[in-house]
Amino acid sequence: MNIPRLFPTLIAMMIAAVPAVAIEPAVSGDSAANGLRHSILRISSTNQAYDFFQPWVKKEPENRRGVGALIEGGRILVTADLIENANLIELEKADAPGKVTAAIELVDFDCNLALLRPLDPAFLEGMIPLRLDATAANGDEATVVQVEPNGELAKTTGRITSVTIGGYPFMNLGLLVFKFSAPLQQRDWSFTLPVVRNGALCGVLMRYDSRNQTSEVIPPPVIAHFLKEADGGTYRGFARLGVSFSSLRDPQFRRYLGLENAGGIYVTQVAPDSSASKGGVRKGDVILAVDGMELDEDGNYNDPDFGKILFSHLTNTRKHPGDECDVRIFRDRKAMTLSVRTEVPDDGKRPSATYSGGKPPKYVVLGGLVFLELSRDYLREWGGNWREKAPQRLVYLDAFQDEMPADRGRIVILSQVLPSPRTIGYEHLENLVVSRVNGREIKSLEDLAAAAGQPGNGFQRIDFEEDPKTIFLDSQAVQDSNAELMEQYGLPALQRL
Amino acid sequence: MFRILFFGILFFVTGVQASRIGESLVRIEATSMEPNYNTPWNPGDVISGAGTGFVIPGKRIMTNAHVVGNARFLTVSKEGDPQPWIARVAHVAHDCDLALLEVEREEFFSGTSPLEFGGIPAIESMVSVYGYPIGGTRLSVTRGIVSRIDFQTYTHSGLDSHLAVQIDAAINPGNSGGPVMQAGKVVGVAFQGFRGDVAQNVGYMIPTPVVDRFLKDVEDGRYDRYVDLALTYESLFNPAARKALGLADDNRGVVVSSVYATGSSDGVVEPGDVLLKIDGLDISSDGTIPIDANGPVPLTEVVERKFKGDSVVLEVLRGGKRKTLVVPLHSPWPFTLQASAYDEKPRFVVFGGLVFQPVDWNFMEAHDPDNQRLNYLFDYFVEDGIHEAMKEPVVIGSILPDPVNSYAGEFLHSPVESINGERIRSIEDVAAAFAKPVDYHVISLLGDQRPIVLESNLVEEARPRILERYGVTSEQNLEK
Repeated sequence: MNIPRLFPTLIAMMIAAVPAVAIEPAVSGDSAANGLRHSILRISSTNQAYDFFQPWVKKEPENRRGVGALIEGGRILVTADLIENANLIELEKADAPGKVTAAIELVDFDCNLALLRPLDPAFLEGMIPLRLDATAANGDEATVVQVEPNGELAKTTGRITSVTIGGYPFMNLGLLVFKFSAPLQQRDWSFTLPVVRNGALCGVLMRYDSRNQTSEVIPPPVIAHFLKEADGGTYRGFARLGVSFSSLRDPQFRRYLGLENAGGIYVTQVAPDSSASKGGVRKGDVILAVDGMELDEDGNYNDPDFGKILFSHLTNTRKHPGDECDVRIFRDRKAMTLSVRTEVPDDGKRPSATYSGGKPPKYVVLGGLVFLELSRDYLREWGGNWREKAPQRLVYLDAFQDEMPADRGRIVILSQVLPSPRTIGYEHLENLVVSRVNGREIKSLEDLAAAAGQPGNGFQRIDFEEDPKTIFLDSQAVQDSNAELMEQYGLPALQRL
Repeated sequence: MFRILFFGILFFVTGVQASRIGESLVRIEATSMEPNYNTPWNPGDVISGAGTGFVIPGKRIMTNAHVVGNARFLTVSKEGDPQPWIARVAHVAHDCDLALLEVEREEFFSGTSPLEFGGIPAIESMVSVYGYPIGGTRLSVTRGIVSRIDFQTYTHSGLDSHLAVQIDAAINPGNSGGPVMQAGKVVGVAFQGFRGDVAQNVGYMIPTPVVDRFLKDVEDGRYDRYVDLALTYESLFNPAARKALGLADDNRGVVVSSVYATGSSDGVVEPGDVLLKIDGLDISSDGTIPIDANGPVPLTEVVERKFKGDSVVLEVLRGGKRKTLVVPLHSPWPFTLQASAYDEKPRFVVFGGLVFQPVDWNFMEAHDPDNQRLNYLFDYFVEDGIHEAMKEPVVIGSILPDPVNSYAGEFLHSPVESINGERIRSIEDVAAAFAKPVDYHVISLLGDQRPIVLESNLVEEARPRILERYGVTSEQNLEK
């Protein structure tokens, strides 16, 4: 059994914010600043993640502390990573003692945002919600709000230096990001911070690079989309088109395709079962325009508010799931328009899920063999450089999963073996892809659990895609030793589905 | 005459002294040219090195393949005789790190005493290592005991593993190819060890079964490489697995996991077969056999001692019935892609400043590519049966920047799927596909990438410019 050591990478990647140059007292006469004090809360979240190597246990708890902004409806807006795997969330006013427990009302890891609500609504009495300032744009000044231990606000003013589509921490989804430059200082309670402008909220700071004094801020359009979805009954989130594309700058390639006018991007892959694939977009199409907006050779359109922005902003943020979106394409030297209904893909149905959202991982232990569904969470247990360190076959399966048939189902793996008399000779097996159990094809852990319920001739037969290809367990012996196995390895249950 | 003398010496001398060994030892100076897989049209870098060799019967000198790999010019000199003699490689076996040298002028051998080979030395018995390691120019002797006899990877090829004997006598750079002696006979050829910061007093020698096999293989004037069953098997310790396969609780037999397509066992052995005997020897449930007195060794040792064209007889249990299978043995070609290659010229095709190269270990070593898909093709070339679809993966190994390819930079190290509609299965296919007269050369890549399109008139225009600018002396080489 070879359990690699874990590295706390996510935390290291997050802000290691920020000490103050000068404490700027809430300047008298600045009513907005005085008001601000009544709109922000200190948030302390004790988080405990599951250990994907031993999915039945949780790792050591850790504490993340940040500042949240009160918005209308008695809700507090924070980043999702602040409260990821939260066991206990406590709120505290900036200038008054007393803590109150809060619950997560909504969390979306796509956009890294969450809404909290105090269990006792009376706690918010006298506080003033912040409204969202949707006008912030490139070049504008804005202020990051931190709280000193004594309750004073520490405000650092900086500037939005660029507006781009950037990677958010959890999922493979590019959403709008403000790059923000401010001389932020190291302070407690800075895991996530509100950014304000004209007395209104204009972003949530999610990453900070102290060396370059640059930070990344979740901008108003993403927050507004999140809140609109939150207010709309069933939360659907952010849609994805599901295309990979390549730039069309190369004039030789343009001439070959027969493109006479400028602009357009080349579709290199369409994810199976995605909005684009259902809408008829194919590999090899050139996308000329999305939702009426012409695309340049890199896939940018001219946004009235933010200038050149990648077209995905149109499909995932400006549009809401279920909306129809016109995609003008060029195929076989002819232009045509497809109507694509934008959808939110179910990450949990991918062969290797990107992020489980802190949900307890599923597992099945069969006579000491530990089975899991392959996921990015599992691979990340190998640390920041998991792409090099994790078992390479699993890394490749994760990387190339969009090329698998749409009905591939989940990739189920034997992650490790808890040695017992039943598993003699199998101790060295780990990270093998399960193809069949007792003759039944395995496309999910539920399949595996069901198949294991029907052993043939007294044996549990497990087939793998790799060597050793097939192993057997004595099904009666497995059954009889379950209690002993649970006792020996401290398993609370033999499965969680 | 020579032979009589040879036997005479060894007959009379049992506890051989260094002075006598000195008559058999040679110091080898090699100048080699290491091909550069980054600029494959260049002749390569000149490297010089030194190693040890020893005279064996038949006026030949035995040494390691890694002493003379890629050699362009070789000289040998005798202990106490400053004159260098010009030598050449008669046979080289890169898969077991052995080579035989001949000396241009026969007079060299006058006054030398060829050494004779012994068997596998016993664990804990004393051995002496002779050679010309760093630290001086004269003959050096170190002494130690036999620590372990086991299969080891031979690092020269990096892929092959054979029997090797671990000794605790110091083996240092320059010792390579020198004889390890016991009771007046050569019991091994010193060949590899660990750097001092990794492990101490661990040196390895090639034992005589491997040496004997090499000498026998070259008797017909050429070296045919090792043969292999090209299958994997799993031990059968688990009682449930034994019962399910219908086996008695007798600690015998291993189960076949994979049989590699195009390998020796392909079409003869099937996955799931239980191997019970190999050439009449009982196979234990851990896959070992009692082949000689030195304790159990992996069943592949039977195959290790065989030659191309030989067969091996397997007794298997298939579907509850005993069967006798005869496996005709040959070398599995696809595996060599994953071994270091020597005495080969890099193959390539330069087209429009894109350098197409076949993927093999040498390429991977030189380029250390970051491309996940390429790494997959290389790592799983045999295991996933990729070799059934192509002789070798071909990639854009490097790009010589020019206006004709200024947008191709992102495709560095991308594996090629097809060119001008022709599927690419080897570097030869690349040359053939570009020979087609087309207006647009279309290079399709594996995975989610756009094709590269090069206009043929622009390619022609760029051709002399690129060759001149980058000093490309040849646009292609398809020969190893």
